[in-house]
Amino acid sequence: MDLAKSNALHARARAFVAAFERGDPAPEAFDVLACDIARYQIENSEGYARLVRARGLDPKMLVEATALPPVPTDAFKLTRVATFDEAETKTVFRTSGTTIGARGSHPMRDEGVATYDAAAVAYGRRWLMRDLEERVPVIVLGPSPDDAPDSSLVHMCAAFAAAFGSSVDYVIEGDIIDVSRFDERVAYALTDERPMLVLATSFALVHFIEGMDDVQFRLPARSRVMQTGGFKGKSREVEPHALRAEVARIFAIPSPAIIGEYGMTELTSQFYEERENAYVEPPWARVIPVDPDTLEPVEDGEVGIAKIIDLMNVDSAVAVLASDRVRRIAGGFELLGRQPGAAPRGCSIAIDEILGRS
Amino acid sequence: MSTRTLVNAARRLVERRATIIPAIVESTGLTPEGVELALTKHLEVEATDDELARLEASTPKTSRVTVILSANVFVGALRAIAVARAAAPAVVVRPSRRDPTFARALVEEAADPAITIADDLDVAAIVEGEIHVYGRDQTIAEVRAKASPRVVVRGHGSGMGVAIVTHHDEASARGLAEDVVVFDQRGCLSPRVALVLGDASSFADALHEELERLDAAVPRGQVPGDERAAIGSYVATMTYASRALVGRSHVVGVAPEGSPLLLPPPYRHVHVAPVASIEAAAESLGPLVHGIATIGANDRAAGDALARALGIRVRVSELGRMQRPPLDGPVDLRA
Repeated sequence: MDLAKSNALHARARAFVAAFERGDPAPEAFDVLACDIARYQIENSEGYARLVRARGLDPKMLVEATALPPVPTDAFKLTRVATFDEAETKTVFRTSGTTIGARGSHPMRDEGVATYDAAAVAYGRRWLMRDLEERVPVIVLGPSPDDAPDSSLVHMCAAFAAAFGSSVDYVIEGDIIDVSRFDERVAYALTDERPMLVLATSFALVHFIEGMDDVQFRLPARSRVMQTGGFKGKSREVEPHALRAEVARIFAIPSPAIIGEYGMTELTSQFYEERENAYVEPPWARVIPVDPDTLEPVEDGEVGIAKIIDLMNVDSAVAVLASDRVRRIAGGFELLGRQPGAAPRGCSIAIDEILGRS
Repeated sequence: MSTRTLVNAARRLVERRATIIPAIVESTGLTPEGVELALTKHLEVEATDDELARLEASTPKTSRVTVILSANVFVGALRAIAVARAAAPAVVVRPSRRDPTFARALVEEAADPAITIADDLDVAAIVEGEIHVYGRDQTIAEVRAKASPRVVVRGHGSGMGVAIVTHHDEASARGLAEDVVVFDQRGCLSPRVALVLGDASSFADALHEELERLDAAVPRGQVPGDERAAIGSYVATMTYASRALVGRSHVVGVAPEGSPLLLPPPYRHVHVAPVASIEAAAESLGPLVHGIATIGANDRAAGDALARALGIRVRVSELGRMQRPPLDGPVDLRA
């Protein structure tokens, strides 16, 4: 562990964020920083060193981010993916544990949390606060950081509330949505037509919509709703297009005011939906569709598995392999969901079936 | 015994297997060697009278059984039809649409007037007896939803095997490798996880060696695209987390001590994890318990103890015999 080296890499990573906020070009080449972070991770993580050796790569020869071997998200469930000692840990973000009881962990030290907040707020501001000059009331359809201290999503919402909010209300406690509190806050905002920011998970929105039946819950003009995450078995699954239409209807907002966010516990960066299923990366992250067999980038326009280069993941894994399928499109990537299960041959059980039985 | 007729028919099919192997290779994606192995070593043509008597005695009787074979290893048709025939004087078999060859050939070879083939079946039109459905949970649920309330639906779902290794010797690694290779590990008894008391790493090395030998003798068949993605991810995960022993068509992943279990993809992938005790093995298997259809063990008492600790009723077999349970009832005792 070389904290000085790590701190220097964090500073270079945050320089990307600062440049973005100023509207300046990136301070250095993406590939250069990505490969420097990878070399740091090879030196300080036995697991990553093994992965690089297994791919037959010489760390000194790494020059392109696309060549970096990705760490699959499952590795975060099996072992500690970090370049620093346990004693340096400031916080551990954990996945929601949908896979056979194992929860993925993403430990962060002080610098990591600072980098997370800087990147999330800068890119979140671009998407959630565009054309809003003043702070706005924030409602989080989710638990508070005290109730879910290990959720990166909750941490991100709290960071948004601190950066963008004139007030913040967390309206989920346990399994209960406090609708009357929501109602009160909306009514208050409506009195002076101040726009609001609603931050919500997809499954919370489904529960909210189901609880409201046909009632409309008009938000003030220019309000927006950030929708994130999947359903994780916590509500019925709703087709994204249908959910968006329902959210627009119930809050009486236009569809473009609903902003999809795509992120994962194993990453530090987030992506936002520009149009249906089409997401845009910040300048400090890249989503590369790769061939599932070779993990090499596929041809432009072809579908591959998402290999994500995240320059903010300084102390964990700069390259992460997700299970989602993606395709590059102009200006971003199309998110196509998980690999569809081809009808399985034989009767060997699949993970999804075990989950369905538990 | 009516079931003996079926077993004899199966034996004759094995004798003239050259006529059916190409079609089975085509429909299953197994290699010719894989089909040969399944037919010659894993079809219960040596069933004893005692086993068949137990099968007939333990099977609840009904007027008629409709057998729906949708997803199973192809040789499973013999047991499925034998169970149905032991239950009823009239049996209708709907072979798997994707993989009909063996079931159809078996029924034709048996020439038992009580057993007929139905390629198209209207589940809702079945008004008596039982439906035995072999397939995914979703298929079973769909059949249940459509079936008349007067008809009993017995579902035989997917599953997996787990092995508990209490001491390691060459025979244990060889036995487990044999259990893995047959049907390319796509059976509901196929072992996917091996829990090792003691040195898991050296057992993994021995297993890797045995699998390498079998990869040469019985090459793996086609691997679909979605499974290839899962395989790539599993190899990278295990390489990062601990160790992945990658063979020409298999992978043995060695889990870090105390880590949660990861279910590897089928097609010859075994997750070897160290455990301190049977109780610890049961605890780590907890999240997978609903999927376990059989336990293999090189110490029968340890296998039984694991089943007890898990609180499940499953077949417990020696390593090397996980895929060869006696023909004395359904393979899956969970229902």
